[in-house]
Amino acid sequence: MKTGKMMTSKTMTNKAKTRAAAMVLVLLHGIIVFGGFIAPGEPASQNRDFPFVPPTRLHFVDAQGHFHLRPFVYQSVSRPEGLYEYEESRDQEYPIHLFVEGPKYKIAGLFLSSIHLFGVEAPAQIFLAGSDNYGRDQFSRILYGGRISLGAGLLATGISLSLGLLLGTISGFYGRWVDESVMRIAELFLVLPWLYLLLAVRAFLPLHISPVQTFFLLIAVIGSVGWARPARLVRGVVLSARTRKYVLASRGFGASDSYVLRRHVLPHTYGVLLTQAALLVPQYVIAEVTLSFLGLGLSEPLPSWGNLLANLQQYNVLVSYWWMFAPAMALVVFSLGYLALADAFHKRLQSVTV
Amino acid sequence: MNYLTRRLIHGIMLLIGASILCFLFADFAPGSFFDEIKLNPQISPETVAALRSRYGLDQPMPVRYVRWAKSVFRGEWGYSFAYNAPVRSLLAVRAGNTLLLTGVATFLAWLIAVPWGIWIAAHPGRGIDRLSMGSTSVLLSVPELVLALGLLYLVVRTHALPVGGMVSLRFDQLGRWSKIRDLATHLVIPVTTLVLANLPIILRHVRSSMMEVLKAPFIQAARGHGISKASLLFHYALPAAANPLISLFGFSMGGLLSGSLLVEVVTGWPGLGPLLLEATMSRDLYVVVGVVMSSTLFMILGNLLADAMLLAADPRVRMQ
Amino acid sequence: MRRLAWLAALVLVLGSNSLARSSPQPAQSDEELQITDGEVGRYGGSLVVGQAAEPKTLNPVTAADVRSREVIGRMMADLIHINRDSQRTEPALAKSWAASRDGRVFTLKLRRGLRFSDDQPFDADDVVFSFQVYLDEKIHSPQRDLLIVGGKPIAVQKIDSYTVRFTLAQPYAAAERIFDSLAMLPRHLLEKAYQENRFTQVWNINESPAALAGMGPFRLKHYVPGQRVVLERNPYFWKMDQKRQRLPYLDELVFLFVGNEEAQVIRFQAGDTAIMNRVNAENYILLSRDAQNGGYGLFDLGPSLEYNFLLFNLNDAKASRANRPAWFSDLRFRQAVSSAIDREGIVKLVYAGRAVPLWGNVSPSNQLWVNQSLPHPARSLEHARELLKAAGFSWRGDGRLMDGKSQTVEFSIIVSSSNNQRTKIATIIQDDLSKLGMDVHVVPLEFRALLDRVFQTFDYDAAIMGLGGGDADPNPEMNVWLSSGSTHLWHLGETKPATDWEAQLDQLMQQQMVELKYDRRKRLYDQAQQVIAANLPYVFLATPNILVGARKNLANFKPAVLEPNTLWNVEQLYFREGSGATAGAKP
Repeated sequence: MKTGKMMTSKTMTNKAKTRAAAMVLVLLHGIIVFGGFIAPGEPASQNRDFPFVPPTRLHFVDAQGHFHLRPFVYQSVSRPEGLYEYEESRDQEYPIHLFVEGPKYKIAGLFLSSIHLFGVEAPAQIFLAGSDNYGRDQFSRILYGGRISLGAGLLATGISLSLGLLLGTISGFYGRWVDESVMRIAELFLVLPWLYLLLAVRAFLPLHISPVQTFFLLIAVIGSVGWARPARLVRGVVLSARTRKYVLASRGFGASDSYVLRRHVLPHTYGVLLTQAALLVPQYVIAEVTLSFLGLGLSEPLPSWGNLLANLQQYNVLVSYWWMFAPAMALVVFSLGYLALADAFHKRLQSVTV
Repeated sequence: MNYLTRRLIHGIMLLIGASILCFLFADFAPGSFFDEIKLNPQISPETVAALRSRYGLDQPMPVRYVRWAKSVFRGEWGYSFAYNAPVRSLLAVRAGNTLLLTGVATFLAWLIAVPWGIWIAAHPGRGIDRLSMGSTSVLLSVPELVLALGLLYLVVRTHALPVGGMVSLRFDQLGRWSKIRDLATHLVIPVTTLVLANLPIILRHVRSSMMEVLKAPFIQAARGHGISKASLLFHYALPAAANPLISLFGFSMGGLLSGSLLVEVVTGWPGLGPLLLEATMSRDLYVVVGVVMSSTLFMILGNLLADAMLLAADPRVRMQ
Repeated sequence: MRRLAWLAALVLVLGSNSLARSSPQPAQSDEELQITDGEVGRYGGSLVVGQAAEPKTLNPVTAADVRSREVIGRMMADLIHINRDSQRTEPALAKSWAASRDGRVFTLKLRRGLRFSDDQPFDADDVVFSFQVYLDEKIHSPQRDLLIVGGKPIAVQKIDSYTVRFTLAQPYAAAERIFDSLAMLPRHLLEKAYQENRFTQVWNINESPAALAGMGPFRLKHYVPGQRVVLERNPYFWKMDQKRQRLPYLDELVFLFVGNEEAQVIRFQAGDTAIMNRVNAENYILLSRDAQNGGYGLFDLGPSLEYNFLLFNLNDAKASRANRPAWFSDLRFRQAVSSAIDREGIVKLVYAGRAVPLWGNVSPSNQLWVNQSLPHPARSLEHARELLKAAGFSWRGDGRLMDGKSQTVEFSIIVSSSNNQRTKIATIIQDDLSKLGMDVHVVPLEFRALLDRVFQTFDYDAAIMGLGGGDADPNPEMNVWLSSGSTHLWHLGETKPATDWEAQLDQLMQQQMVELKYDRRKRLYDQAQQVIAANLPYVFLATPNILVGARKNLANFKPAVLEPNTLWNVEQLYFREGSGATAGAKP
């Protein structure tokens, strides 16, 4: 009795957890989708007088000690003696305004707009996460980069899972030599030197396709290389589902392969697929970082979390400009969300099968 | 034993397949080792062409593959254009360095992860469990390379440890214990990175498979018989939870040569990583093939090891 | 008999002595040693230098990569040497030389009584053997093409044991300079391998030290794969200081393979290495922040001799992507691009101010050859727009640039993904050109893939590359500017010059090559520079300063603009007293 009650309360909390993780992820993705609105500037616009400006500080108390309800910033001016060193000029306060006019962008990639969530009046600038080598606003770049990185993660996951589902099902359902050969190929793919493959693919792509297309092609390659693991999992599920008594019975009644697959076998794979999806998305987002470190990532001036973080490879950036670690924060927050979701899915899966 | 022989044959087939693929990719990638000297205005195109033909780069792919396969049987593993030496001699030393690094890291990761995982599996939902799961989630979310860079940053700032390399210059003059100490201090950064990167995965696997087993009726029964907790965990639950862990262990072993490549590059460890990266960039074809093949070999051996261990641990496998 | 025993004992003592410590041998009366100026130093110490990667071979004849040459260069010596400081030639193994009046025949007198690092004598036979090897077609030495003058190999003839005569097919303005860095080989060690056709296999990186000898200041001690190569003093080196002490001062020279520049900076900062050979500007600034505490000094030697440029693909259309538009061959288009590029921005953001903008192929630091009168037009987007308008371009409503056929201007710039500076330059140019309404894609390619496109397939629109830096003399540039040249990148494999100005350039370059008088040669090369700057086959961008660092206690350190920038006078380097003999000593 006691254990039963415990079980229900646990599944309840698990459901709530799933919901919470999903909500947080929806919120985070919303921020990325509406990144153009939230970002105060354009991701690629250079400001060559302000390379490597540290994050702008928000002030509430001015030089005279008066408190302002509306936060304000000071203008950053470069110090004459040091290179890339700045100080705040305390002469004038620039209050932060909401819903200001700024550079044009497309809301969620659809409607043109020029209203931004916040901003300050020129000549002051607001760099919430500092600026990079070219004086570009890193906060805006993180938001825009999120689109690319998450897009890449979702795309690669989609490809891996669809291939995995297809091949895993075929392998598990038809068995024998089909199974044997698919699994051997899967093993080959697991040991494949994908790094070298990517170098070859990157070097071979024609130049006149845009950098974004090139990049997503590479991601597609990574995604298609990654089918082996999900395929093995799917195969296992299909294998066990295929031999269940009611499936054998329905076959006995003359059900066709496709009917059996649709009605009795595939539904069992959804749990595994969902869990895999939640695990794979952050993995591929991280893979994109590795890609950028090797110089295979998205090319300038477009941002992605990978190429933002790849700046850290330069020793002087690593030790001098701590705010260049900021994209890692975004990455961690997203990954945590996905991992929590994967955990929740996993638990649900277990509680269902038990 | 039949089962193992079959696996062995699979392994060999896999190696051959991988080597063919490797050659195909290498053929795919444009540019050759001798491209860079073309940039030198003092070298004529004829010289470059002659160099290419000396190394057989003007031959079709199948011919080169057969040549390479022969040299593998001679124990040369092909010839490096850059070093003008057999590939195997290049690989041997560096593979040793890599194994030292990954061996220590893997050993430490398992040493920490197994007891820790068992412990938190026995106390699910407690503070320590939550903390472990939370922190491993964070670790899983940070790319290995960023982790390595972060560690480097800390060390450079604090001057606490030597950065880069495997031993100090004075190494040859040191006594035995100082040598070990010197090596150990150089190992800290790359090993820590690798442990932090691998620990979460192992820990989570240990935890989940133990939790599964602890729910099983025979454990409940054993608990009912009043068997001590430690004995319960280690003598009853752990062997039952071993199967998935053995597979993971085989995977760990398989990754010994390939798992640390990028970390080696970032932390300056003189292993296969820097060699592979340089060879890839300079199109030193047979070195690349050699590194990839040796890591594939390890991968396959790791899987075989896991198979053998499974066979020994679980009679059900033998039934297959 | 007694005498023999005594001799044997002496040999034994000397032998064991030299093997154990390779201490400098006292100068013999019959040795014609070179006396160097520079501070008189003290013996001892081990100099540790960081290298990006290990040398691939120790064979000076086959070595093609920079790192191998850097190491080999310390173990070998040449007949006539270019002094890296003065950039002029000076006697080396040849104590003197004379040229015939027509500039075709050079007679070199060798120093007498010199010995290789294995105590074997050096004479004219070694010189003849060396040239035989370099010129051998079967060996394919990268240096061979250098020794072909006027289509014919240089003829080498032994006059006596210490005199060698070289005959060229035609006069050659830089004849003395071709001897630089041509290592003289020990015939006694290599002749057998050469005759057995094994020459290219000897002296690889695993070679035992006993099988290797040279005339340079150091000789091989041992090599640890992937980690370091250790050289020790050549006790028979042929230079001495003012006090007649035999050089080099250092006991050991260690090349530590530490990885990329970032890693080199870390190791230098940590005190593991004593010299930082070429550091980029950002790391230079980073290092300069704690130079005081770090116990090292940093040197800005001014602009290097290399030039970075934007290259437009002007190869024949049939040889490359068919639909490549004709914009690039329009001079006004190239001028507009040149005018729009923010060179000052490149200098500031890419090189942190430690570079100079360029408008021609000769760096301002090449005092002897730079054409001072080349114009340096300031950046002007206005001027660029006018040029484009004049060339028939116009702008669409959304600001995009269109050519006369209403095609929008869109092209890609390929750049080496491993070269951070050039990638940054590309990013800046991309932004600059977008202000003209051009849609430019930056495509970082792995270096070999980039070279493949530039040299082989011609499948690219534009590229950012760098050339030069080898020597101050114009002659290494021949292959860049001659229309038939192998690095005539914008239009490779021309059988005859495609344009009038290329024909003119061919003529000027040919004339300067055989002109022996500096003044006249300079005038010709000035004109060549003018033609280049006016026609912009390359859009020149900037040349970075040469920045190096060294421990403060390292004396006689005289870094130079020419490569090798820091180790060219390694025999004179020594550690000052009271500072600890090794580089590893922390402050």
